[in-house]
Amino acid sequence: MKEILLIFVPALTLVPPAVAAAFAMRKISSTALEGMTRQPQIAQQLFTSMLVSMALVEALVIYCLVVALMLAGKV
Amino acid sequence: MPAVVEQNLHYIVIANFALVAALLVVIGKLATARPLTEIPGGRQNAAEMALEWFVDQAKRIHPASVLLVAPFLATIFLLILFSNLLAILPVPVLRIPPTSYFSVPLALAVVAVFGVVVLKAKVDGAWSVFKHSFWPNPLQLVGDASHVLSLSLRLYGNIGGEYLVAVLASQAAPYGIPIVIHALGLIPASVQPIVFTLLTADFLATASLGGGAGGHTAVPEAT
Repeated sequence: MKEILLIFVPALTLVPPAVAAAFAMRKISSTALEGMTRQPQIAQQLFTSMLVSMALVEALVIYCLVVALMLAGKV
Repeated sequence: MPAVVEQNLHYIVIANFALVAALLVVIGKLATARPLTEIPGGRQNAAEMALEWFVDQAKRIHPASVLLVAPFLATIFLLILFSNLLAILPVPVLRIPPTSYFSVPLALAVVAVFGVVVLKAKVDGAWSVFKHSFWPNPLQLVGDASHVLSLSLRLYGNIGGEYLVAVLASQAAPYGIPIVIHALGLIPASVQPIVFTLLTADFLATASLGGGAGGHTAVPEAT
């Protein structure tokens, strides 16, 4: 039983951060798209800013991915 | 993956990376083979188009040292982009992208962060770099080390994860499905170099190059 439960540990390390990041990225992309449609002349600048913001959010999930992979190796 | 490939993976990754670098050198030589003309045509047009974005970024960071900053950013970008794009080649050993092994992104991130320090030393002098590392906060060095970690892990996580998915999918369903995975993989393969370059440019700007105010380049103020 304990072994079966341990299988879920890496998954539980990764899934909640991924869900949180998905919400954060939804907010980032929808706000950026809104800005782009309102002001198409600065769309290029907004796009690069959006990419950087998304990368910063994504990095946190990747840290969790690394931890999950390490845990998966140990379990 | 065959056992021979798995045993010599380190050498294959290094060889692929060297191959990408050699390819870029050849492309660069070809693009500048003819003398540059006022009215660009053909190759010169393509080369100028590729470099324009980097020159714009460099101008935003420090207009006086565009010739120092733009080649640095362009080299990092093209190296990462071409390394990522190896994954779509239909050749067995050559299609292992170097950036999907942690050593290569780590080396690239160390080069990027160290390059920022060297560029700042060239523009502002070594004393300024030394002062920036310890003043106002002696923990700046820790910040630089965390830049290395975040840059390398981000690149590795994206490209390595995508490559892993492609390998697993091609084992499960050898025909059809891997094409879709590779087509989707083109998105991170082309976005990650942009992100890596933009963040390096951002570090360069926040390192207050030129002793000026040093704002964020990646987040320009909208007027």
